[in-house]
Amino acid sequence: MGAVAKAEVFWRAALQGIRHQPFPHAVAVLTLAIALFALGLGRAGSDAIDHLLASLGSDVQVTVWLRPEAPVAEVDALMASLRERGFGVQLVTPRAALERLGRELGAAADALRGLGSDPLPPSLELGVPPAWRDPVSLRRLSLELQKSAEVTQVDWGEAAVERLGALARALRWGGLFAFAILLCATVVVVSATLQLAIYARRGEVEIQKLVGATDRFVRAPFLIEGLLQGLAGAALALLGLAVVLHWVSPQLETLFAFLQVPRASGTLWGLRRTLELLGVGAGLGLMGSFLAVSRALRA
Amino acid sequence: MFHVTKSYPGDPPVLSDVNLTVEKGEFVFLTGPSGAGKTTLLRLVFCDEKPTRGQILVGGRNVARIRDASVPYLRRNIGVVFQDFKLLPHRSVLDNVAFTLDVLGTPRAESRERVLRMLKLVGLQHKAESLPLKLSGGEQQRVVIARALVNDPTILLADEPTGNLDPGLTLEILDLLCEVNVRGTTVVVATHDATLLERYQKRVIRLERGRVVADTAQVQAARRTG
Repeated sequence: MGAVAKAEVFWRAALQGIRHQPFPHAVAVLTLAIALFALGLGRAGSDAIDHLLASLGSDVQVTVWLRPEAPVAEVDALMASLRERGFGVQLVTPRAALERLGRELGAAADALRGLGSDPLPPSLELGVPPAWRDPVSLRRLSLELQKSAEVTQVDWGEAAVERLGALARALRWGGLFAFAILLCATVVVVSATLQLAIYARRGEVEIQKLVGATDRFVRAPFLIEGLLQGLAGAALALLGLAVVLHWVSPQLETLFAFLQVPRASGTLWGLRRTLELLGVGAGLGLMGSFLAVSRALRA
Repeated sequence: MFHVTKSYPGDPPVLSDVNLTVEKGEFVFLTGPSGAGKTTLLRLVFCDEKPTRGQILVGGRNVARIRDASVPYLRRNIGVVFQDFKLLPHRSVLDNVAFTLDVLGTPRAESRERVLRMLKLVGLQHKAESLPLKLSGGEQQRVVIARALVNDPTILLADEPTGNLDPGLTLEILDLLCEVNVRGTTVVVATHDATLLERYQKRVIRLERGRVVADTAQVQAARRTG
């Protein structure tokens, strides 16, 4: 009986608090909205970078150089085993390799006429599936293939792949660091803003304590206010993100079409991200109000 | 109270070695000039301050050593009335009085019934929906008394409850406090109004510079024994 009555009191007090102090609450909601909008944009940007890195990673190609006298059956078996593991496999015969080199040399291709019939070794060109597009997996694959008697060498652009991996790691950690800093700054700003609202209601807090309210009782309505502010801030931020992702980002995608970034509005924001932002908003509001009311209760 | 001293760093003690006992159901006036320590003494009783030295027993409990977390539960047994009312201006009289019951988690319907009963006792049932600022000083003080009494506390502390009121309203409030006392509540009223002490003929404890300099209970006891 007491808990229901208290919950009713808390919600009523929280709504009355918002009604009687609209300005500090509006400032807190706006602060949260701006921070969450920045977080949301950062999240969408980080997803875009992930997609971009994945698309660049798909260009990673492994070339398996074979012995010129490798038996066809052995080569076919090797190709079949690689295909079974999800690799795209293309056999480049010595003749095909020479023709490709001729095409690439263009007018200078005449220089190849003096060479013997098949001066280049046969090779297998592998399309790498996403699960293998990291330096560790590619090195493991390379060592494994080199154990085959028919393979003389494996090239997989080790330096480029490692640089790409390092870039991805740096972007992820940098994003995480920026995210943490932004979260802390938001909590501090929101808590300072909420303290204004609490200061304006210090008389109410004083009377509550005089008539025997526990700290938890005093804190509860302010936490509800923080929660509502967080959700309202998140809703505003989502609105802003919807505007950006639906109207602004297609323009940017056209400008940066050469990067082949996927359409942000379609793939970078969904129900999961929406719930994530609402959750972060609610958490920030709660944390900000908790800090503010704790400070006020200590004073 | 046993050998209670309250001092702040750099200042002379506000209360020095105060010893006094108030029995259950008593009505006591605490008097003395401004700065004598009346308000501090009351604040020590409802744990708004802790004594520097000494023991204070309230209902058998030593509030000088009470944990902070236990203070709210102690205060639910003590009603407090201030000179400056401390009412919430944006809430109705009913909501102001119900504030005490909200803290206890009393259901809304029951709370409303009890508040209206209490407002009837203080003669304000017709003002339940008014805002405090629309009321006279005497009416506001009666709202505060209703708020202090609505959860049936065993002790009522009133700090200069009539300090802002004209003589007519002062007597009205004091009569109300006497009525509360008759119902069994221990009442301690801090006042420097000597006319009240003469008119009501209750026990008077006089403080000066933080010390008890006179207590009519002791005088009467001495007369009885002597």
